[in-house]
Amino acid sequence: MTERYLATFFSHFGAVRFGRFLRERGLEHALMPVPRQVSSSCGTCVRFTAEALPPLPEGDLERLFRDAGGVYEELLSNL
Amino acid sequence: MSEKRWLLAAGVLTGLCAVLLTFAGNPVNMGFCIACFLRDIAGGLGLHRAAAVQYLRPEIVGLVWGASLMALWRREFLPRGGSSPLLRFFLGFGVMVGALVFLGCPLRMVLRLSGGDLNALAGLLGFFAGILAGVAFLKRGFTLGRNYRQKKAEGLAMPLGVLALLPLLLTAPAFLFFSAEGPGSLHALVLLSLAAGLAVGAAAQRTRLCMAGGIRDVVLFRDATLLSGFLAIFLAALLGNLALGNFHLSLADQPIAHTDGLWNFLGMTAVGLGSTLLGGCPLRQLILTGEGDSDAACAVLGMIAGAAFCHNFGLASSAAGPTLPGMAACTSSLVLMAVIGLCHSAKSA
Repeated sequence: MTERYLATFFSHFGAVRFGRFLRERGLEHALMPVPRQVSSSCGTCVRFTAEALPPLPEGDLERLFRDAGGVYEELLSNL
Repeated sequence: MSEKRWLLAAGVLTGLCAVLLTFAGNPVNMGFCIACFLRDIAGGLGLHRAAAVQYLRPEIVGLVWGASLMALWRREFLPRGGSSPLLRFFLGFGVMVGALVFLGCPLRMVLRLSGGDLNALAGLLGFFAGILAGVAFLKRGFTLGRNYRQKKAEGLAMPLGVLALLPLLLTAPAFLFFSAEGPGSLHALVLLSLAAGLAVGAAAQRTRLCMAGGIRDVVLFRDATLLSGFLAIFLAALLGNLALGNFHLSLADQPIAHTDGLWNFLGMTAVGLGSTLLGGCPLRQLILTGEGDSDAACAVLGMIAGAAFCHNFGLASSAAGPTLPGMAACTSSLVLMAVIGLCHSAKSA
């Protein structure tokens, strides 16, 4: 089953790099401002859909959420 | 309430508080100005000796602690740091140089516009140009590196340091400096300034209100959410100024402003570029400081050092216009920011 995810990063560049990684694998994704519900940071996040979680970037990734229609369930945090 | 509505509400609150503070004694079109207030604090502490701009502005204490209290209440106080703190110090320094060539931070730029100061239009264009340049660096892969979790003391150090200004202000020991005339002598009652700062600081933390972030997000993502706060400040302050008869549309004779369009533009270009590289405008750096971000605190310390430097060496503009050393320092700041932008971009690695 396809799930929607939202990943936040320590830097804008980390988000761009992950977006590029997803594009190379043909996974639907979009770069966008981090929603206020998940963080007080005003950085860049990546929203993507996948049947199974792709390999996640080490170092760059701050937090990962499952996005259930605007309700975010935290799956991972590197804070 | 949606994110945009919260931002609109925060913008209206900020704009109205600014008009109220001006009505209650702050300098005209300077209900809030992060650059001017940090400059006044630098003067109050004796870091520069420009007699007209020395006062420990309680608005700054309020902004930082409004953000701290809101972040603590919402469990968002997160001590963090280690993302190129020294470069952030110098970027903050450069942002202050640009702001003092223009005579105001992005927040005061909006307040100057809402008071009818058309010189701020050149500043707005420059701010936009600086953010465009910053976004170009972001697209090249610019990053100052990730931050790391820190101990509580690291996150609390700067908020507590800022808090120490309050007893100093209230007891006014002889080693401090308080302007007898000029902008530094004009201020609202301490309690009112503190309360306005607390309210705006809390609202800005809740909404992530940011002058630079608003334009950056429109350019990067076509997302105008953050920008709506920026527009709400302008409209609320404009209506407040119209109601109080403080709206005077002109280029000439505007308070604490000069009419040199080129340097109004370039000063704010430095502010826009530096703010984008730092990840937020001077107001946002204060709010992040309140959340426990010691990298943002380094940028704020850079701004204070920059302000002291500007007034000790005649770099700051006056109503007569920018100074030659100020022009040289602003140009140097732009070059320094471009070098940092290039050296920290992935494409240069």
